[in-house]
Amino acid sequence: MSKPTLIVGAGPAGLAAAHSLATVGKESILVEKEDILGGAPILSGYAKLVPSGEWAKDAIGGMVKRVEDESLVKVETGAKVTNFDGTPGNFHVELSNGSKHEVDAAILATGFTHFDSVNKPEWGFGTFPDVVTTTQVEQMISSGQGVRCPSDGRKPNRVAILLCVGSRDRQIGREWCSKICCTVSANMAMEIREELPDCHVYIYYMDIRTFGLYETKYYWRSQEEFKVKYIKARIAEVTSDGEKLIVKGEDTLVKRPITIPFDMVVHAIGMDPNVDNPDIASTFGIDLESHGYIDVANRYGGMAQTSRPGIYVAGSATGPETIDDSIAQGHAAAMAVLSSLKEAIGKSA
Amino acid sequence: MPIHEKSLIRPENLHTHDELVIDGVDVSGHWSTFIESRVVSDYNEALEDEIAALPGGEQIHRCWQCGSCTNSCTVNAINADFNPRYWIYLIRMGMESELLRDKDIIWQCVSCNKCTYACPRDVFPEGVMKATAHWLERRGHTPKSPSMHFDEVFTEQIVKTGKIEESRTIRRFFARTKQSLMQPWMIEMVKKMLSGLPVGLLTRMGLATLVAPKTSDWSRASAAIQEFIDEQHEQQEQALNLARLAKSPPQKDAA
Repeated sequence: MSKPTLIVGAGPAGLAAAHSLATVGKESILVEKEDILGGAPILSGYAKLVPSGEWAKDAIGGMVKRVEDESLVKVETGAKVTNFDGTPGNFHVELSNGSKHEVDAAILATGFTHFDSVNKPEWGFGTFPDVVTTTQVEQMISSGQGVRCPSDGRKPNRVAILLCVGSRDRQIGREWCSKICCTVSANMAMEIREELPDCHVYIYYMDIRTFGLYETKYYWRSQEEFKVKYIKARIAEVTSDGEKLIVKGEDTLVKRPITIPFDMVVHAIGMDPNVDNPDIASTFGIDLESHGYIDVANRYGGMAQTSRPGIYVAGSATGPETIDDSIAQGHAAAMAVLSSLKEAIGKSA
Repeated sequence: MPIHEKSLIRPENLHTHDELVIDGVDVSGHWSTFIESRVVSDYNEALEDEIAALPGGEQIHRCWQCGSCTNSCTVNAINADFNPRYWIYLIRMGMESELLRDKDIIWQCVSCNKCTYACPRDVFPEGVMKATAHWLERRGHTPKSPSMHFDEVFTEQIVKTGKIEESRTIRRFFARTKQSLMQPWMIEMVKKMLSGLPVGLLTRMGLATLVAPKTSDWSRASAAIQEFIDEQHEQQEQALNLARLAKSPPQKDAA
């Protein structure tokens, strides 16, 4: 147990892994390419998290502080891993800031990249200022500014949330369900209704996947308490008549085409594989699965294993993942590292 | 049962012209049939609240679109276009233009209440149908139905006198609905009644026609009931924003 463990990425999964290792007295090196820790919830300015309802800056901020205050975690921000070689128990790491480290194992908690809505130009993002993403609305809420139309700062009277933007869309090579956007959107719709009671919120869906216990707290509650309206329609186009945004599509329950005016359209953007994944794969010598996420080699017999022994993976680096599950996987990956070292120790003894 | 399959082109949306020339092009006749747009172009967010403000419609927000009402519906079994689930959806989403397309069949609910017992959410679809039919009348989309006239005549008489005098009710109902009193069945009934010479009954009927029977000390009860009715009516008028439309209140010229 003399060498530290490398953890790449300081989002929920990486922070959990570092904390886990520290609690058993194990050193780690936490490498983060950005200048601050916290990952997507902090970097993208998320508001209240699902399902706890806690503010991201408090919940994830607490995890960041816990790691920053921990002497067993050596934090390297603004750095990427440029070179990685060796064998389990004996890896050599070089970082972009020039530092070199000897580590026993690596945990990749490299996360995801938000889908860029300009890849769906027919839905108006980048063309009309009042077409925004869920991330932008999160920021409007978390900054305290409130939900406002970016074009002129007015309070919207009618908001459309389009689900599956960059998810379940084979046309643009994104077959996967991003898993959490339905729940996040239902939560966001309630937050909008809470802040602006006169603003009506419509969610356009193809299926609603507020899985597990989220069904009660988000799906039904948003309808029954907050009168959020769910309309089964795949939207064809978002345009403008010069004053309002016009959402065109077909209400497939009523079998009628719709062209409805809106003040604001929100894209519920999905989770793409981290854009750096090809680089990460070649640097670490690991496989990606067919969608471009990091491949998990063993689902049942071992925890968090990648295709290369000694390198583990946690969180949304493996596919769309919730924050809670990312944290659990971070802890699991730390446990996987510890148990692998025990095996090595047992064999050498 | 899914929300019913309906032909995408409604007959009323098809137009042919015997003689029509547009920009020098002859577009007359069957081969140049025009189809009107079937696009839904706006939502009326007030619609659900308006229906909910009318008696019977209060629980509409509880619907989760399971379709039990339509499945159990007596009228739907005969006419697939009669679809309570579909209308509840339209009302909740505010698709007023779509709802109005069915304005001439919504009143056909026979109030068997099978939907009421089938509904897992206590939406009370039968009440919603009633509320919707009343909404259509009060908004002026449909004429006042005969049963509505009957209800009004009946209620007015009760409020006024505390009693029902059938012949008066019948006469007023026929007058309101502009029907002749000389209905064949009525003539037959009177003939048969007379053939038995029920002297006592005929005397009472004759007297009742001349002097409206009245419950003694009724005026205070009458005033209280009328006050309640006016209160309810006022609330509904406000909910439906009808004052704005300057609609005249229903007739109160009772018995």
